[in-house]
Amino acid sequence: MARSYLTLKSGLGSVLGPALNVASKPVTAVGGIFDSYVNLVGVKKENEDLREKCERLYVENQKLVETERENTRLRKLLDFAQKKPNTMIAASVIGEDLKNWFRCIIIDKGSRQNVREKMPVVTPKGIVGQVVEADLWHAKVMVLNDTNSSIDVNVEGKNTRGLLEGTGQNTVKLKYVIKNDDIEIGDKLVTSGKDGIYPKGIPAGIVITANKNKAGIFADIDVMPYNNFRQLDEVLLIRK
Amino acid sequence: MKTLVYIVIGIVLLLLEVVISPRISLDVLKPELGMPIVLYVTFFLGARSGLIAAVCIGLVEESLSGAPSGSLLFVSVFIYLMAVAMRRKFFIDSKYSFAYLSSGSVIVQSFLFLALSFFARGEARGALNILFYAVPNAIVTGFVSILLFSFIEQLNNAFLEGNR
Repeated sequence: MARSYLTLKSGLGSVLGPALNVASKPVTAVGGIFDSYVNLVGVKKENEDLREKCERLYVENQKLVETERENTRLRKLLDFAQKKPNTMIAASVIGEDLKNWFRCIIIDKGSRQNVREKMPVVTPKGIVGQVVEADLWHAKVMVLNDTNSSIDVNVEGKNTRGLLEGTGQNTVKLKYVIKNDDIEIGDKLVTSGKDGIYPKGIPAGIVITANKNKAGIFADIDVMPYNNFRQLDEVLLIRK
Repeated sequence: MKTLVYIVIGIVLLLLEVVISPRISLDVLKPELGMPIVLYVTFFLGARSGLIAAVCIGLVEESLSGAPSGSLLFVSVFIYLMAVAMRRKFFIDSKYSFAYLSSGSVIVQSFLFLALSFFARGEARGALNILFYAVPNAIVTGFVSILLFSFIEQLNNAFLEGNR
């Protein structure tokens, strides 16, 4: 039954396809004649000109909006870099890891620009990750949400400490926080500086779920990083 | 000559993928572009050319990825060895059979990488992540392989016929 229905449907489609194609041609031609010569001889031309002008202005407007956004972003980056002028290297993100198993970005600065392995990478919003490989002209940065990434963090304003581990997804996990520790949804996490890679006090993310009802001694905590790692254009590397 | 051209095509495609992928918000739309080239060269140009392609593509993939050193090269060469073993048993008669082969190689590649990281480190932290992307990667690669096969065949007909 299903097979005969499919055969029928495909047969019908085979017949209707060319037929529709043939039928549409005279209809379009007649419509064109009607538009051009019968009713709207001058108006059609004017309309086309105006539409073209409108599209051009729209594109220009889009470019201006994008330029303004870029300007704001770069100004923030500059402000951030000027706080510690000799310790930062600015870099642009030029690519992403070839495999979606890893969360890694490729930046346009390499060992020629004094980029070294284990250099922390940040943006004005917060931490991005660390350099894992520095070639001559470019470097690979392991992003915070890579499954191999771990960062020692503190909860801002509290004594709670944990290890921020990547999951490969957009959110990351805060591990080894005991259920009795003071932590709740909305708490902000900053780097503790105790892992020997990241300097102290850089924003890392915000707690979005804190489940203390699961088995075991540690709480199950999800954290949303401040940065959207798929939309990074520029980053800063911190010299040690 | 042909081997060199195909390898260059593979490398250019890999570079384009790396540059374009941050602009695409869907993570699952990341085809494996190196493996189809290795398979094509191995099946159509022979084992020696295939080995050269596998090594070159494996190395380029590794330089464009955060994968542990040697892992992607190992996987690439392993897939090549499998292709050599299958050469006399599996006949590529159309772009569709090539697409099936490419998709299959992506699945094998995922499991191979998983096994490799498990044996090397005693754990595979990204196991779920790798498994999550295995099937979507295979499907996208299959579709891309159809286009790639057609492109290479056209290239052969237009420029490379007779050169080897």
